[in-house]
Amino acid sequence: MEKFVFFGGKGGVGKTTVSCAYGLKCAEAGLKTLVVSTDPAHSTSDVFDQQFGDDPEAVAGRENLWAMEIDPEEEVERHMMDIKRTMTDQVSPGIVNEIDRQIELAHRTPGAYEAALFDRFIDVMGESEEFDRVVFDTAPTGGTLRLLGLPDFLQDWIERLVEKRSKSIDLFERAAIGDREARKTAREDPIIARLTERKELFEFAGDTLRNDASFFLVLNPDELSIRETSRAIEDLTEYDLGVEGLVVNKVAPEPDADEDGTGARYLRERYENERDRIERIRTTFEPPVVARIEQRVEEVKGDLLAEVAAELDIDVATVPA
Amino acid sequence: MTLADRIAEYRDLVEEWLHGLYHGMIEHPAYELIEKEAEDSEDAFMFACFADAFGIPSPVSYYTAELLPYLGEEFQQWERRMWDRESLIERKGQQYHF
Repeated sequence: MEKFVFFGGKGGVGKTTVSCAYGLKCAEAGLKTLVVSTDPAHSTSDVFDQQFGDDPEAVAGRENLWAMEIDPEEEVERHMMDIKRTMTDQVSPGIVNEIDRQIELAHRTPGAYEAALFDRFIDVMGESEEFDRVVFDTAPTGGTLRLLGLPDFLQDWIERLVEKRSKSIDLFERAAIGDREARKTAREDPIIARLTERKELFEFAGDTLRNDASFFLVLNPDELSIRETSRAIEDLTEYDLGVEGLVVNKVAPEPDADEDGTGARYLRERYENERDRIERIRTTFEPPVVARIEQRVEEVKGDLLAEVAAELDIDVATVPA
Repeated sequence: MTLADRIAEYRDLVEEWLHGLYHGMIEHPAYELIEKEAEDSEDAFMFACFADAFGIPSPVSYYTAELLPYLGEEFQQWERRMWDRESLIERKGQQYHF
């Protein structure tokens, strides 16, 4: 099993439960494990009955288990403040207002949220030496999976920007005929330096996702969830990120054969329906079904979590590097 | 003033004139042409970075906003150029000094 494990899937299928259970399983196997939640409606706190913040915090009462919750909105805000701070150092006060507007605009575009989340992913992956396993509980937005395909795309884009910038600087240098001073030189250009730095980060993210990460999709035995999963598998495969396995969650239990009340009949029918669907999942999807988790009456937390963890047939051992 | 001095002075004058002529006819237009080209390609760069300033959503503007502190002056000039520029011909024609 790779160091970084991602759990994705439609909203409400139980990604958080499964990620926490898997995190617990890893921790109990002796791996120092960090569970990272990116769902703005953080439910990791509910599962462990403990409030988590932006930095890894030990989970009370569990050994080897840490958790953190990323808030993209906060991250966007911080990014914006950082830029504004740098700006007041660099730019004369006269133009600050004009540019402030652009900065705020850039942080309110639809992609900002995703970009911030992605930045934090890279951060966490880059600073995770002390952990043996990092489990990402991804947000249920359609964008989250796409996020993982971002590095290549962004790399290309940034590369083109560097190219353009280099070209214009080259022209500025050439325009400096005779003993004129060039308006800009490539060596001192902070823009190219900044862009190159970014590009390297994306490269790191792309490499890490391709080589050191596994992806699992969580789904429920219902049509919507199955369809969404099939799309997600397609997307991920397109980005060169293979899906390692599927976790079928919230499977209805089978009533005993001698029961025949209205409830039992309902449950039996449902159970049979679901059995067919799971069979279909098994046969039509390429990734194997690694776990079938029965629906619980109560919220999964505390001791129940350990039970769920036991039902997960996902390998825990680390791949020798 | 000796004759030699006067000749030297005359030669300086001629040299200055010749250089001025060279600068006006060859050096300056060439310089201007390249600098314009540089500015044009700079504009393209700025546009690729901050397309959202003109209402076109850009997937990287979140990242390129980081460049703004270093592009301050340029950004403002660029924005003004983009709003003011009426046509490509108008800009390309500037070099002929009609």
